[in-house]
Amino acid sequence: MTTKALTVLALLASLVSAPATTAQETPRAGGVIKAAMIGEPPSLDLHWTTAVIVQQITWHIYETLYTYDKSFSPIPMLAEGHSVADGGRRYTITLRKGVKFHNGKEMTSADVVPSLQRWGKMGTSGKLLWKRVEVVEARDPYTVVIHLKEPSGSLLYGLAEPNNAAAIYPREVMAAAGDGQIKEFIGTGPYRFVEHKADRHIKLARFKDYAARPEPAHGWGGKRIAHADEILFIPVPDVAVRLAGVETGEYHFGQNIKQDQHERLKRNPALEAGVVKPYGWITAVPNHKQGIMTNKKVRQAFLAALDMDPIMAAGVGNKAFYRLDGALFYPEQGLAHSQSGVTGYNQKSRERARALLKEAGYKGEPVRWITTKEYDWMYNTALVARQQMEEAGFKVDLQVLDWATLVQRRNKPELFDIFSTGFTLRADPALATAIQCNWPGWWCLEEKERLLGEMLREGDPRKRRAMIERLQGIFYDDVGRVKLGDYFLMDVTRKELRGFRASPFLTFWNVWLAR
Amino acid sequence: MKVYLLRRLLAVVPVMLVVATVAFVLIHLAPGDPASVIAGPYATQDDITRLHHQLGLDQPLPLQLVKWYGRLLAGDLGDSIFLRRPVSEAIVERLEPTLLLTGWATLIAVLIGIPAGVLSARYHNSALDQSFMALALVGLSVPSFLLGLLMILVFGVWLGWLPVAGYAPLESGVWPNLRSLLMPAVSLGLVQSALIARITRSSMLDVLREQYILASRSKGLGERAVVYKHALKNAIIPTLTVIGITLAILIGGAVVIETVFNIPGLGRLIISAVLRRDYPVIQGVVLLIAVAYTLVNLLVDLAYLTLDPRIRYR
Repeated sequence: MTTKALTVLALLASLVSAPATTAQETPRAGGVIKAAMIGEPPSLDLHWTTAVIVQQITWHIYETLYTYDKSFSPIPMLAEGHSVADGGRRYTITLRKGVKFHNGKEMTSADVVPSLQRWGKMGTSGKLLWKRVEVVEARDPYTVVIHLKEPSGSLLYGLAEPNNAAAIYPREVMAAAGDGQIKEFIGTGPYRFVEHKADRHIKLARFKDYAARPEPAHGWGGKRIAHADEILFIPVPDVAVRLAGVETGEYHFGQNIKQDQHERLKRNPALEAGVVKPYGWITAVPNHKQGIMTNKKVRQAFLAALDMDPIMAAGVGNKAFYRLDGALFYPEQGLAHSQSGVTGYNQKSRERARALLKEAGYKGEPVRWITTKEYDWMYNTALVARQQMEEAGFKVDLQVLDWATLVQRRNKPELFDIFSTGFTLRADPALATAIQCNWPGWWCLEEKERLLGEMLREGDPRKRRAMIERLQGIFYDDVGRVKLGDYFLMDVTRKELRGFRASPFLTFWNVWLAR
Repeated sequence: MKVYLLRRLLAVVPVMLVVATVAFVLIHLAPGDPASVIAGPYATQDDITRLHHQLGLDQPLPLQLVKWYGRLLAGDLGDSIFLRRPVSEAIVERLEPTLLLTGWATLIAVLIGIPAGVLSARYHNSALDQSFMALALVGLSVPSFLLGLLMILVFGVWLGWLPVAGYAPLESGVWPNLRSLLMPAVSLGLVQSALIARITRSSMLDVLREQYILASRSKGLGERAVVYKHALKNAIIPTLTVIGITLAILIGGAVVIETVFNIPGLGRLIISAVLRRDYPVIQGVVLLIAVAYTLVNLLVDLAYLTLDPRIRYR
């Protein structure tokens, strides 16, 4: 063989063996994706809980009528499409034909109607929307009609939302569950439930009869393909172990890795460090129902005193993972993002805070701020904010609790003045938890509730934008919550996990394992 | 002897009753409740109240306690709120990793601790003795989780010899199972071996000063026979007590190591149950640990009999 021929052969061989990282790479079927998660899901019933980890795991199993495209607008998923009539009060939704549940049965309106009703009865945003629903009926096996009391700009968003989602379950699964949680985990998704071994793993396997949508993947919609044979969601509560596991190849994916590891991980050729952006806000929620924070001037003084950069730096640690933005919605949400009305964010004015406290007649009553070290960004931001508040004349009693205690106490207005939390992304501004009245903190204001009502009715994004701007004005004048800043999480994946992208809604469909 | 055994076993009952009641009351008085954890961060108070009712947590505490006693008498530990299955099932599933981990850790502790203690006593005040005791001091001062994390870094991440975390059950083969338990067992066992070494050394030193040792030496018995046959057998009693305590501590105390190495054992179960306020699971595991403590103590007491014929129980 000539030298030339050998060179060509060697080149060919190197082409075959080199990992192809180009975009044109053909996805490979097979393998088991091992995902190291922060913990155990408290339930596998999506209608039951707003815990984000439940959504992340189970929406590989269950699907919804609608889902979100890249810019967080609702697009059909199990639905074929819909028409709106009667001045926006009647939605006629046609269902896709030939969509099978994991038990082999075809999905029809007989499953969709009770699923929506159950979600409207149990889901947190479901209940909010269901106040406006008159009745849901099955017109024929593939048509569902939703009659509304008044038009709703939020209905499709609600049906598309993955958190506490309007998942479609088989009718008999819901009948067996009664008022309790479902006991069989059956959906129409690309992966089916296999087993749950608590503290060990949740195993999903490819659903062979999955009916994928024909159009290419777009955001979270379009064609979903289960490339891997199985997915193992493994609870790994210790962040150092999650990271070490991905570094050694034990896991392909590690969730919520500390952001200060970003620079180091970027240098590791075997890993990919993904920024989950947008993700959420870090927030201090004042108590509007009882105590010192019911005084608007005191709340304004609290907001005026804060210098957000050191607070967010302490909370997140790496500039690539936070953003100082006072707007209620994210730049990634298109028209919903606006700076208009954002008047009081990041004032850094001790003098103004002092003057406001004086006007309020504040006499050094301790402000009870409850926070937790279970989420270190909550504790760290509270710590720096406390110092800034004290420099402005506040007296702060920072109480560090475990998370379970915090979520119980924040429901009792007599037990706190401020609590730490994070608000994750809600695609529909009108459904955002951050601005609801019936949530701890009880920010209820006639003018705001009226505006929210209008927003729930309005479907035109431009008109909604104007409402959001008015809402932001009210938010900062009344200091509904104190938004400290946007924060982003870091997910780490191994390079052999292809097609993955870090996003606020974790997904492993259209993701495959290279050899 | 039979009477003694029966008496000891019967004494377990009131202990259990006290432990059960204290565990129940303490857990229920602690703030936080499972309903708000299950409902998730964005749930409203209405959702939490509904869940609270569905879980039966809105019933008066004494009523809940009586109901629990009732089930307990029937041998039923109740159902986990979070895992939606019987507590006893959840416990049985976690026993394997914890028992194996505890067993290996104790074995490592004994195999290192006793020889180190004996050698230190035999070569009292020598360089060997001093270096063993210095090591033991370090061992006692280093928390096992730190040792665990260091081992993960060296053997898992840098050298890549052992899996960094996770548990391979016995059914997946003995070798994978051993590999997954090696680092956690060593980090637990090393720390306990320090304690065993110190106790063995001091009790050996006491025994070696006894007259009968002098007598055996003067009748011309070899040093080996004196130390290992005559002295060790008498010196081992306090060590045995410590091993018993170690075993009991490890059963309930592998909590941290199981978390660090992500081993789904009893320790992880109780930690997650506390964080989620899964009352029935916490109560069940606490009871089990109390039973384990009592039984291990009984076994240790019985082991004295075979080692020291002077001991009699009536």
